[in-house]
Amino acid sequence: MTAVPARSSERVRPVTSREPASAIIEIDRVSQVFQTSARKDHIALSDISLTIEEGAFVSILGPSGCGKSTLLYIVGGFVSPTSGAARMKGQAITGPGPDRGPVFQEFALFPWKTVLGNVMYGPRQQGVRSTEAEAQSRALIEMVGLKGYENFYPKELSGGMKQRVALARTLAYHPEVLLMDEPFGALDAHTRTRLQNDLLNIWERDRKTVLFVTHSVDEAVFLSDKVVMMSKSPGRIREVIDIDLPRPRRRSELLLDPRYQKYVVDIERMFDESDEAGFAL
Amino acid sequence: MMSTAALTRRAAPVLACLGLLAAWQVASLALKNDSFPTAIEAIRAIPDILGDKESLINILASLRRMALGFGAAVLISIPLGLLMGRSRSVAAFFNPLLMVIYPVPKAALMPIIMLWLGVGDITKTLVIFLGVSLPVIYHSFEGAKAVEEKMLWSGAAMGLSPAQRLVRIVLPAALPEILTGCRTGLVLALITMITSEMIARQSGAGNILFNALDMGQYDTVFAMIIIVGAMGICFDAIFEKVRARLVRWSEPQFDLPLSFS
Repeated sequence: MTAVPARSSERVRPVTSREPASAIIEIDRVSQVFQTSARKDHIALSDISLTIEEGAFVSILGPSGCGKSTLLYIVGGFVSPTSGAARMKGQAITGPGPDRGPVFQEFALFPWKTVLGNVMYGPRQQGVRSTEAEAQSRALIEMVGLKGYENFYPKELSGGMKQRVALARTLAYHPEVLLMDEPFGALDAHTRTRLQNDLLNIWERDRKTVLFVTHSVDEAVFLSDKVVMMSKSPGRIREVIDIDLPRPRRRSELLLDPRYQKYVVDIERMFDESDEAGFAL
Repeated sequence: MMSTAALTRRAAPVLACLGLLAAWQVASLALKNDSFPTAIEAIRAIPDILGDKESLINILASLRRMALGFGAAVLISIPLGLLMGRSRSVAAFFNPLLMVIYPVPKAALMPIIMLWLGVGDITKTLVIFLGVSLPVIYHSFEGAKAVEEKMLWSGAAMGLSPAQRLVRIVLPAALPEILTGCRTGLVLALITMITSEMIARQSGAGNILFNALDMGQYDTVFAMIIIVGAMGICFDAIFEKVRARLVRWSEPQFDLPLSFS
């Protein structure tokens, strides 16, 4: 597979000199309660407020069961919050829409469509002419490193390849925000690393806003401008940490960078502390 | 060139049929019973039936009812099953109804339907329709229920309306399961077709069979059984070909993923 070519460095805006960013997504005092049985309620999210700036790569990091995916689904419009509201560019989110493109851990490809058919689905739905949609989709498939696999069915692909198709399928309809729900969670370590690198290369080219849910500290620090740490039962925002590391980021350089290491260690320590606090209760 | 293993596999069904006919022949010769003709006598009677215009009209009338009943059942049952699979309230409404009808042999309803609609084509077609509907509804329901939520969300994010999602995501995603139901339905159509003609004799393949039985023409009876059996095998084989084409993407030979990240 060909690696995604690195973008020319003059197109990259360094983090420090970025123009004042405007809010694209506002999460305003959102709570989510699930009724698990007649008498017991499970509070998945408790009073979450968060603003996401346009063009930022924001990770939501937390242990399983902290409601981080639920928060993403609320922004996606797939789930309505019990109270509070989420807004996209000032408009209340009432349902899913092509301005917010999801990428799921489960891939959720259409198995009856080929790779090309999957990627073309969104543009065709938006009314893009067939020839045009196909040309765009072929370019995207090449960008995610799957040239030559256009006519394969999802069943014939490995997990990593499926997630590449899912990413291309979502990018194909030009969402303003990418909503990634533990996208690399089902992949083996090696494949995950490669997809992280390629995602970063793709992202650094057009700097779409990304909301990225993960439980991996390294992944969150490596990819993000901002890490939102969540704690569980009830799901709350514990800390929001700006990751002030230069871009473009290269894994080989970053792993040796003491600033990167410090972020990882600090965040892990904070989670450990909250675990211990949990024991004390 | 075909390998020995492939050749054996191809020949196996033919050998099984020949074996069955041979066993039949031997059993019949040993029993020497008038009502149990030999296999050869039964096979000899087949050309007589198929060469007779009256019989052919009867068989074609059966097939027409079967096609109508099966077609109408599929057209109504698939949408109903899919709706039930995706909407809890639709399922809550229809499920008890279907649970009551499911174990009732559809032919048992026939005398009542005959009282209402007479002994003609409508009654028989309706019985076939009922026989086919339930497995198709059930499998469509199960198939629609199993459709991954995230797949529907992906469609919703692309701007598909709920109705579009039902037709363009739930239907294709559930298709392998739906076609399994249709395959069961097809065999049931043949069974209810014959049974309905047994109860209301007037025309049809079942009519030939039971008239021959009344008149003691046992070679014709067994010849008809062979003909009906052969029709069943043919329909099933044709359906299987169509099915395999439609859901090629879900077939197990596609299961081996490539080694590539």
